[in-house]
Amino acid sequence: MTNIRSIIQDMRSRSSRVVQDRFSAGPPSSSAAAAAVEVEDGMNQSCWANMPQELLREVLLKIEASESAWPLRKNVVACAGVCRSWRHITKEIVKIPELSGILTFPISVKQPGARDSLIQCFIKRNRSSQTYYLYLSCTNGPAIAEDGKFLLAARKCRRPTCTDYIISLHADEMSKGSSTYIGKLRSNFLGTKFTIFDGQPPHAGAKITKSRSTRMVNSKQISPRVPAGNYSVAHISYELNVLGSRGPRRMQCTVDAIPSSAIEPGGVAPTQMDFSLGNVDFFPSMPFLRSKSNHMETFSSGPLASQKDGVLVLKNKAPRWHEQLQCWCLNFHGRVTVASVKNFQLVASPENGPSGPEHEKIILQFGKVGEDLFTMDFRYPISAFQAFAICLSSFDTKIACE
Amino acid sequence: MALELKSSDNKIFEVEELVAVQSETIKSLVEDGCADNVIPLPNVDSKTLELVLDWCKNHVDMKLDEEKLKEYEDKFIEVDQAVLYDLLLAANYLNIKDLLNRACQKVADMLKGKTPEQIRETLNIVNDFSPEEEEEIRKENLWAFEE
Repeated sequence: MTNIRSIIQDMRSRSSRVVQDRFSAGPPSSSAAAAAVEVEDGMNQSCWANMPQELLREVLLKIEASESAWPLRKNVVACAGVCRSWRHITKEIVKIPELSGILTFPISVKQPGARDSLIQCFIKRNRSSQTYYLYLSCTNGPAIAEDGKFLLAARKCRRPTCTDYIISLHADEMSKGSSTYIGKLRSNFLGTKFTIFDGQPPHAGAKITKSRSTRMVNSKQISPRVPAGNYSVAHISYELNVLGSRGPRRMQCTVDAIPSSAIEPGGVAPTQMDFSLGNVDFFPSMPFLRSKSNHMETFSSGPLASQKDGVLVLKNKAPRWHEQLQCWCLNFHGRVTVASVKNFQLVASPENGPSGPEHEKIILQFGKVGEDLFTMDFRYPISAFQAFAICLSSFDTKIACE
Repeated sequence: MALELKSSDNKIFEVEELVAVQSETIKSLVEDGCADNVIPLPNVDSKTLELVLDWCKNHVDMKLDEEKLKEYEDKFIEVDQAVLYDLLLAANYLNIKDLLNRACQKVADMLKGKTPEQIRETLNIVNDFSPEEEEEIRKENLWAFEE
């Protein structure tokens, strides 16, 4: 009968040599060290590839839980790029921003924000290149740090009768034909009315907007580099208020892609689940759409809102006149520090029926904090992309500007 | 009370019951009265079983000394990848929660900071994505790793 103690003592002296000889699974390895492992563990070469799914899941759960903020969140994205089984599990584990308040994959910028808290971002303007950069704030709190995760970039393109802001996942890839194209904001000639276009259908049955730059899609064999079209998702209009240019302007944003019921208790907003530029379907059974309560599956092909269910309308909260300070004031809770006619807060407007508590919540807040620096805070039911586009219109409009 | 465990390579280990029942798998066998004879563990080789039993023994001995236990655990898990893999599977099979947790954490720590390609290299995993999927992933990682 063997004595466990003597075995362990024997192993102890042996195992310490083993650890010294072999590559230690510590900090990121160099490829030389990784090669050494391959040589030594010839028999175990592909053992990790055969790791039982439940163990892989445990490992990925740990990574997802600990790397919750950027820039470390990139490690979660990396795991989703290893192989199919890793991607499948990682995507299953990662919750949509609506539930977690966390943006993870690029598609997150197209998905509604958190319900109970504002997602804090900031926008940097580069006047010379006419480019705007949207970042997710990496440090929350009253101090506006410049620490951010890049989300989207927008470039202004002036045309004879209108202005376009092309919005992309990559600052250097701004052409509409690029695979990083997300959408655009188009302003009318006067800069009083704007339309937000999404490069992807926002919901089942969405109709493509015909324009010169749209290609009609008949086959599924499209190169991913060609956008399948542009879908109008929101309209923004600016007007002077009764005080003319001496008072704050009136802003209204009609979000055709979101039903007004989205903000009511139990309401849902359409959520895109992945990019499929090369494979757009005009039929109701969009494989990449999902909603919490299977709401979307019951829609037949046609416009999102049926007759009795209106779309979401956002209006700017009216500032109060501060007699002593002699200026218009909104409470930005420290997130906006420089007075500017561009600053605004949007709330849902009770178009149909009486106003309830859901009409008090600030859906989008935007304001100046520095020469070319602005904060942007948004929440459900709009997405970072929609929020960014709305803010861009505030830059562009000439209404009530000195 | 001592139990006898047999590894996949037919090595017999005599272990105190208190130590062995750190494994929920062995614990249920004991509770069901199936532990009178040698318990075969066909999924664990002797090398790994020795390490596992060392873990279990120390968790009994150092139960009241948290600091000492943490020091032991940190040192214990500094093993090479092949051993780590075997420990992971053994902890899963034997259902030893704290060892499983620690081993999973070790693997997670190993992967942090690596690109998908580096992870594949480290763990010898084959890239089985289609060209279209690769393109999507390339775009994703470009965006995620953007400074």
